[in-house]
Amino acid sequence: MIECTVAGETLVLLPEKAAYWPGKKALFVADFHLGKAASFRKLGVPMPAGTTRENIDRLERALARTRARRVIFLGDFLHSAEGRAARTLERFGAWRAARPAIELTLVRGNHDARAGDPPGGWGMRCIDAGEALGAFVLNHVPGAVRGGYALAGHIHPSVRLSGEGESLRLPCFWFGTRYGVLPAFGAFTGTAEVRPRRGDQVYVIAEEEVLKVG
Amino acid sequence: MRALVADTKLSLERAVEGLGLPWTIGLRTGDTSSAERAKQARRLPSALVTTPESLSLLLSDAAASEKLSDLRLVVVDEWHELLGSKRGVMTELALARLRRWNPRLRTWGLSATLGNIEEALERLIPSPRPSPTPRSAPRAPEGEGGHRRIVRGASDKQIVMDTFAPPEAERFPWAGHVGLAMLERVIEAIDGARSTLVFTNVRSSAEAWYQGILEARPDWAGIIGLHHGSLDADVRRWVEEGLKEGRLKAVVATSSLDLGVDFSPVDRVLQIGSPKGVARLLQRAGRSGHAPGQVSRVTCVPSHALEFVEAAAVRRAARAGRVEARQPVDRPLDLLTQHLVTIAVGEGFEAEAMKAEVRSTRAYRELSEAEWQWALDFVTRGGEALRAYPEYHKVERGEDGIYRVKEPAIARRHRMSIGTIVSDAAVNVQYMRGKRLGNVEESFVARLSPGDAFVFAGSLLEFIRVENMTAYVRPGKPGSAVIPRWDGGRCPLSNEVADSIRELLEEWTQKPGSDPKRDEPGSDPTEPEMKVVARLLKLQHAWSRVPRAGEMLVEQTQTREGHHIFFYPFAGRSVHLGLSALLAHRLGRTRAATFSLAFTDYGFELLSRERFELLPLLKDGLLASGNLLDDMLASLNAAELSKRQFREIARVAGLVYQGYPGQPKTNRQVQATSGLIWEVFARWDPANPLLGQAEREVLERQLEYSRLTGALARIGEAPVLLRQTHKPTPFAFPIMVSRFREKLTSEKLADRVRRMQLEFDRAVAPDEPAPAIGKPGPGAQLDLL
Repeated sequence: MIECTVAGETLVLLPEKAAYWPGKKALFVADFHLGKAASFRKLGVPMPAGTTRENIDRLERALARTRARRVIFLGDFLHSAEGRAARTLERFGAWRAARPAIELTLVRGNHDARAGDPPGGWGMRCIDAGEALGAFVLNHVPGAVRGGYALAGHIHPSVRLSGEGESLRLPCFWFGTRYGVLPAFGAFTGTAEVRPRRGDQVYVIAEEEVLKVG
Repeated sequence: MRALVADTKLSLERAVEGLGLPWTIGLRTGDTSSAERAKQARRLPSALVTTPESLSLLLSDAAASEKLSDLRLVVVDEWHELLGSKRGVMTELALARLRRWNPRLRTWGLSATLGNIEEALERLIPSPRPSPTPRSAPRAPEGEGGHRRIVRGASDKQIVMDTFAPPEAERFPWAGHVGLAMLERVIEAIDGARSTLVFTNVRSSAEAWYQGILEARPDWAGIIGLHHGSLDADVRRWVEEGLKEGRLKAVVATSSLDLGVDFSPVDRVLQIGSPKGVARLLQRAGRSGHAPGQVSRVTCVPSHALEFVEAAAVRRAARAGRVEARQPVDRPLDLLTQHLVTIAVGEGFEAEAMKAEVRSTRAYRELSEAEWQWALDFVTRGGEALRAYPEYHKVERGEDGIYRVKEPAIARRHRMSIGTIVSDAAVNVQYMRGKRLGNVEESFVARLSPGDAFVFAGSLLEFIRVENMTAYVRPGKPGSAVIPRWDGGRCPLSNEVADSIRELLEEWTQKPGSDPKRDEPGSDPTEPEMKVVARLLKLQHAWSRVPRAGEMLVEQTQTREGHHIFFYPFAGRSVHLGLSALLAHRLGRTRAATFSLAFTDYGFELLSRERFELLPLLKDGLLASGNLLDDMLASLNAAELSKRQFREIARVAGLVYQGYPGQPKTNRQVQATSGLIWEVFARWDPANPLLGQAEREVLERQLEYSRLTGALARIGEAPVLLRQTHKPTPFAFPIMVSRFREKLTSEKLADRVRRMQLEFDRAVAPDEPAPAIGKPGPGAQLDLL
């Protein structure tokens, strides 16, 4: 857990791959990809069970750590229409039933557009990208926007670190001057290597620690 | 392989025409047009030339037994090429099926010289099972089994093998900076021959040599060619035809031209760098003087000093008939699952009969009941981890007891992904005006900026931009240019060559005269190549030692980089990779440390910041064979290597879907890299036998575990010569500069991160507003979608 300042606001970066904004008691989670393993199964690829449970457990840990009152999903909450398997939805529904007081918001991403909104019974507010919340503009695809500092996901960022003949690729939080990108939260997601610029704030997730590397 | 198929069809057609037979000859590969496929679907030709993949695809036809049950003869050409891979096992499975339909099917296999020719026969035509288990006794194929034999060629082909002497022995590099020092000799040789094949070991070096030759002889433009696996099919075809017709003076090629296509005009073969194996050099030599009665001639062109020793070693082993064996693959479960789905897509199968059929192959003879059950369970219910997911089904058991694939989409996707060859995420290279040149690796393109020059397909190119997995280029202006590197293709030194090298060094240390004090070692070398390395060996002997065959040389030295330990088992690169990880792991247990590992075919290096006192550790069993497997797997590399090896398994078992290049991407929601799938399996289904298979394949194929065990046993018995040297010796130097390095550490990840630097984007000025999104790294994009 590490604190940083983005757009004048304090954000707490968690090794659970989420960012907490104490100013609004909000937890930001990007690229949850609920039902990704289920969509593989549906199309004949036998992915083992466990990724959904892991996602929910980690979300629960992040909430326990921060006592956040709301979760804002920065896009790609549901993976695909094929992934809306009864079992997967039931599991998240059960978590929601046990946590009715948490306010849930989904900023629709490219996957959500095809997968559709989550079941209405979950009481999740679904909005399109671009809505402002204090200093931030809630987005999915990274890019500079009018009206504030954009928070986004979508690209599943990781950076390469090197030194002493060794090289590592680790998922990261990446904050530029006008927008920031969160790591992908989902347990069954890969990463894409990005090359930040000097002056950007970059934090990597090294197992249970978040470390500033740039 | 495709070149060979086309060539075989032409030869057969000529023979059929000459004999006046009313036969039709057909071709069936991945390239066969849909019109031709439709024609074959109506009526198969008298003889069909095909590949293991296309044959497997034929078995997925709903009327396969009807079409193929009167098949009378199968000829497996170049069986030695298939034997050591899963493609060989694929062939075995297809043969088992064909034999079930026609028990009197005859099988011919054609093979080059092999160290295990009996095993090659056994794989193709298994002997009857010695003691069939009572519950499931598969019948041995009738009409075969008992009637099988090995037919050897009447006379051995005469092969001349020699080595170019270097222009200036004194200046020859110690290590592997593959220079073009021998360019002049190569040009003279090409000039003096009718048609020459110049073989290199890797694609980048083929590009470099082609450029070098063309710069020295611009008048050869248009009559020399370049051939390697990353070039566009049209480019390759032009070269192959040019060779056959005798239009080309020389072709620089990689193993892409190893296979037995008939290039009669070729009368000279050059091997750049060490051939690393006896069979490989013999195969390449055989590309020249292809007609009966002619002499094959191959000349080695070493690229650094120790390769002279290798050249001599290979020739010596070849003369003694010590040719490498090809180790067949034992019951790969990924391929079994693929095959089960293939048959389920077609006519379907009944479980007991299918089990007997699979077990009638040599590859799966030892398949256990548990393994069979797992495979069946995996293709039907997804295995243990998915027992609770009723919505998952790929293969379904019908009420008639027959297992079939019902869903057309699954069947279609499976048909498109039959095979075992993993293709890299490759980017097409194409001129702006349209001509395709071939492909390079994504990671190479990711590092290019517009305007950068690079050499590819024998041309100097300027990179313009990349779009939809295509890198657009235009002819480049002369100047400095990089050559892309492709992964893979590097084979380790074979056991046969390694033995031969140790023998040559042993002879060199034997003093020929009666007075051992006066006579210098190696004053009368047995092979001419040894003269070239005499100075190097003398230096090595003076600074440290040239080890005798039964000795284990270990050197310790210190440089600005830290403390180096060098071991010289002379056992091949892959064994050294395993040994270095093992020793680093064992040393690291005595004290927390980080090691940088380097290895070549001769030895390996452990580099660390701390100095280790080796004597007590050696006495304490540093090189002992006990606990070997556990220590190997515990070493950090094992997990990382398994993950890499899983690429092939995930592809074969249908966990990743590999489309064809240029085909529009479908099913984006089920694309993930095999590395990611490995992570999910390792975490949530750790008992999955496919993970175990990855580990086994790493041990057997990458680390050559059985060779490693043998090497360690040999080392364990040998007296250790521990030398402290004031600087790296001639033997150590090539290892130190080796580009292949691995890291092994017991430190925490966070501690390592703190010592490392972030790689920034240097392409953009630091004061520009708003960060740009970086280029996604190699293979990363797939996970996003």
